[in-house]
Amino acid sequence: MFSIKMITKHTSITALAIVGLLFVGSACKKGHDNTGVVYAPQMYEPVGYEPYRQSRANTINVRENGLNMRLPARGTVARPNYHTTFGTGANKTTDLMMYNIPADSIGIAERVLTNPIADSEKMQAEGQVLYTRYCSHCHGATGKGDGPVAKEYKGVPNYSTDAYKTMNDGHIFHVITHGKGRMWPHGSQITPEDRWKIVQYVHKLQQG
Amino acid sequence: MLIHSINIVQKMSCLYKLCGAVVLSLMLLLSNSQVKAQDSASAPAAAAPAGGGGGDVEKGKTLFTNNCAQCHSITAEKVVGPGLKGIESRTPGKDWLHKWIRNSSAVIASGDAYANQVFNANGKVQMSSFPSLSDADIDGILAYIAQGDKPAVASTGGDTSKNTEGTGGGSASVGGPSELFTFVLIALLVIMLLVLGVLLVIVTILSKAVSPVTTTDGTQIPSSFGQRMKTGLSDAFNNPTLRSVVIWLFLLVVTKATIDGAYSVGIQQGYAPKQPIAYSHKLHAGQYKIDCNYCHTGAQKGKSATIPAANICMNCHGVIKKESPEIQKIYTAIENNQPIEWIRVHNLPDLAYFNHAQHVNVGNVACQTCHGEIEKMEVVEARSSLTMGWCIDCHRRTEVNTKDNAYYDKLVALHRKESKEPLKVANIGGLECSKCHY
Repeated sequence: MFSIKMITKHTSITALAIVGLLFVGSACKKGHDNTGVVYAPQMYEPVGYEPYRQSRANTINVRENGLNMRLPARGTVARPNYHTTFGTGANKTTDLMMYNIPADSIGIAERVLTNPIADSEKMQAEGQVLYTRYCSHCHGATGKGDGPVAKEYKGVPNYSTDAYKTMNDGHIFHVITHGKGRMWPHGSQITPEDRWKIVQYVHKLQQG
Repeated sequence: MLIHSINIVQKMSCLYKLCGAVVLSLMLLLSNSQVKAQDSASAPAAAAPAGGGGGDVEKGKTLFTNNCAQCHSITAEKVVGPGLKGIESRTPGKDWLHKWIRNSSAVIASGDAYANQVFNANGKVQMSSFPSLSDADIDGILAYIAQGDKPAVASTGGDTSKNTEGTGGGSASVGGPSELFTFVLIALLVIMLLVLGVLLVIVTILSKAVSPVTTTDGTQIPSSFGQRMKTGLSDAFNNPTLRSVVIWLFLLVVTKATIDGAYSVGIQQGYAPKQPIAYSHKLHAGQYKIDCNYCHTGAQKGKSATIPAANICMNCHGVIKKESPEIQKIYTAIENNQPIEWIRVHNLPDLAYFNHAQHVNVGNVACQTCHGEIEKMEVVEARSSLTMGWCIDCHRRTEVNTKDNAYYDKLVALHRKESKEPLKVANIGGLECSKCHY
């Protein structure tokens, strides 16, 4: 109200136009491709090298195009990040589950391997969860080979048919690890412990 | 008022655009269903009549569906293995077929010329052995194949009509909600028009109220509408109350916009960058129902949910849609040993710690709680604000799943002494600064 008397008619019209423009401006939200403004980016971006966050090229790993993520050194042995001991008391079993049988030796796997995890309701329930996560979109919820992806993928077998219902622990474990026929290897996605739990559940599905 | 009308005009144009989009999408939907109907109408032409064999057709059909249908069709169409139409006439004979079905690898190993030719012609994919099938079983299967899909022709016809009905119903049901949507839009439009009308009435009342007043120097009342409006407006500008009201309103609005703008700093809600490969979660997680954990293997085990490496894509795309240009980008990346540079959508600032396993595995939080309905997103968008208030709000609301977990027993007992409320995340340190900021 203080300096209003100084405002002439024309300037007030321009002022109104500016107000209108401001409104139009504020109505425009930031685009979908824009992360927007960040306050104090040095607090947002990590100082250390992280695998999934890279705002600038890594100056140490120049050989691999400045990537943060690196392969482990050759010959590295993974420390098992899964259980290796099962059961309690007299039933206690230990198995490191180091799996060294080559991809083309499914016969050896069939003869040598047995499931280190004792058959139990709890393990089967866990196996079912894992089966639903990693297998059911192709093999179907009941193992009939009728998952939604199988219609596109084709050639997914039915577990409970003649040729498949007698397949043993070693065979199933080997196929999950290295794949067989049209199925590709899934060893990188599922830990050996989880694979054995899936094997148990698949045995249940084989009974139809 | 000018401001308001500008805003209204803007909103109206948005509405028109929306209406246009709705009409367009409806048209698209309808045309899609028409195409589907045409496709399914041409389908039954594939069925072909053929002569009968010497086995139990019904039993053969069951055996075929259970053991063979995954890789073979009874028509000439190749699925994984060759189509089996006319199998008896093109192979060396029934005895050979019996041997082949029971153990094809042995027949190939014996050096049989035809067996090797078939094996090589089908990409050297080994056929499963069926040692438990008897001669009668195999004859039944062969009889079923020879008979073709004769009795099934009628049922295929039935399926077709069902399909068309299905698609018709689908488009109708799709039409339902969008009709509601247009109704709501029209209702909004009417309300907008009413508001505009009220505003216009106010304007006319004001101008009328102003018009009879003579100007300060005592000249006659202007006769033309334009002149009256002009004096009315200048009077309005010279009216201190009206001016101050306008200025105060302006200041309030600007303050609100400034505060809103300041609060949106660092928030990336709605961020949906274009990814290097047009991967659709709607297709993979929605239509094909592939579990999130299948690709994001780290979600259950580690801090990061992990972006799948190309080998996981290859689990399916080693076979499916290899020729698609988008999938070829994965092949190129693998051949050149170059990473696919996916753009991170959810950027939590480095000052806050977040662990996926803690929330997904232990807390049993569904992916959609934070990421929204990913299975319906063509392009992934940041649906949550990821602000501290948002985290804290969830920690206050969420009950800890203490069932069958001995770790929580003493905590629950202690908590029961103090409160009747169930144990929430906030009660086990979910609001402590140092849990996330260190």
